[in-house]
Amino acid sequence: MPSVLIPTPLRPHASGLDNVTGQGDTVGAVLLDVVTQHPALLERLFDGDDLRRFVNVYVNNEDIRFLDDLQTAVTATDEISIIPAIAGG
Amino acid sequence: MAFADDGRDPLERYSRQMRFPPLGEDGQRKLATSRVTICGCGALGTVLANHLVRAGVGHVRIVDRDFIETHNLQRQILFDETDVAENLPKAEAAARKLRLINSQVQIEAVVTDIDHANILDLVSDADLILDGTDNFETRYLINDAAVKLGKPWIFGGVIGSEGQSMTIRPGITPCLRCVIESSPPPGMTPTCETAGVLGPAVSVIASFEAVEAIKLLAGKLDALNTELIMVDIWNWSFRRLKIAGLKGKVDCPTCVRGEFSWLEGEFGTHTTTLCGRNAVQVAVRRGEPLNFGELAGRLRALGEVKQNAFMLKFSTEGYEFTIFPDGRAIIKGTNDIARARSLYAQFVGN
Repeated sequence: MPSVLIPTPLRPHASGLDNVTGQGDTVGAVLLDVVTQHPALLERLFDGDDLRRFVNVYVNNEDIRFLDDLQTAVTATDEISIIPAIAGG
Repeated sequence: MAFADDGRDPLERYSRQMRFPPLGEDGQRKLATSRVTICGCGALGTVLANHLVRAGVGHVRIVDRDFIETHNLQRQILFDETDVAENLPKAEAAARKLRLINSQVQIEAVVTDIDHANILDLVSDADLILDGTDNFETRYLINDAAVKLGKPWIFGGVIGSEGQSMTIRPGITPCLRCVIESSPPPGMTPTCETAGVLGPAVSVIASFEAVEAIKLLAGKLDALNTELIMVDIWNWSFRRLKIAGLKGKVDCPTCVRGEFSWLEGEFGTHTTTLCGRNAVQVAVRRGEPLNFGELAGRLRALGEVKQNAFMLKFSTEGYEFTIFPDGRAIIKGTNDIARARSLYAQFVGN
């Protein structure tokens, strides 16, 4: 199953895990499975059917906005990353 | 470059850097005629300023709104306990230290809060803008100014053991808003207070920014980073996310549509919660400097007052106000913006 890398700020909402696998053949389907496993992630990632504007998702280091967004096809070996905006400094 | 009074080549001090072939003497000479503005002189900013002044960038302007506190010393490498005792502004303390390190560099300290009204004045004569800030409001403002002026800037952010950086060249690369369309709203993301921050993580990211600055100023454009760098020094992870393809693909409000919402004051407030300090900054424009003497006289009846030419500190009811001559106040003891506005109104008046 494709894996989803969970960034540090979201880990408390994913049972402390840094990596969660999800079923599905698109980014959207995998993320939906992940938020079903960890419901606290739902409101942090999604606004209705869309990703929240501040949530950036990459597949194998490429932004899904220049792939096919949530419809981007993924296979079992793909790695999906949720990339946080890091504010401190 | 002319020889100094002692007859020594002023470039000699940079010999080890010039012997690095990709930079060379030609690159060094370009650094010497370059100007940068460093926005923010905290953890990132002190490391950035340290590298760039030592490297011989000709003019370094350091802009920061804050004063040094003991808990800064863990990671803000230009400051020491004497600076805390003297209540020095960060920009001024950094400039004093850096002038001792490299007298060839023109170092300008500006103690102010960067906002939409002053940012163009602070960056328009710079060849490059560097991000030493700790909040996205200022970063989007820098991005607006940089895109509007067609000026490069380098983004960096750090929290915990993680950081990210990218080099933004308007018209050539995606801008900040292409890549990070929006920052999380308050309460949706950890702050330095909840997540903490490691000094080495800051040094890594600021050093990435500094080397990008050196390449850019020296005209070594082919060597520049075109990706979003993500580092976690605790877990030894280093990632390079491909962002170049976003240029032209994203209908960016800033660099495609030319909307400068932060620069025009439409976005961004005059109140800011300060990362990691249980404090709120309230900026109130008065157009004339505060009368410290009069204010101190009024406040002394209500709590403890300390002042120097740069600031007035006032403690009462578990809150600590640091009030600046321009009317700005940092109110420690609350994260609640409304409460901070109320406290400001009660004790300072607006």
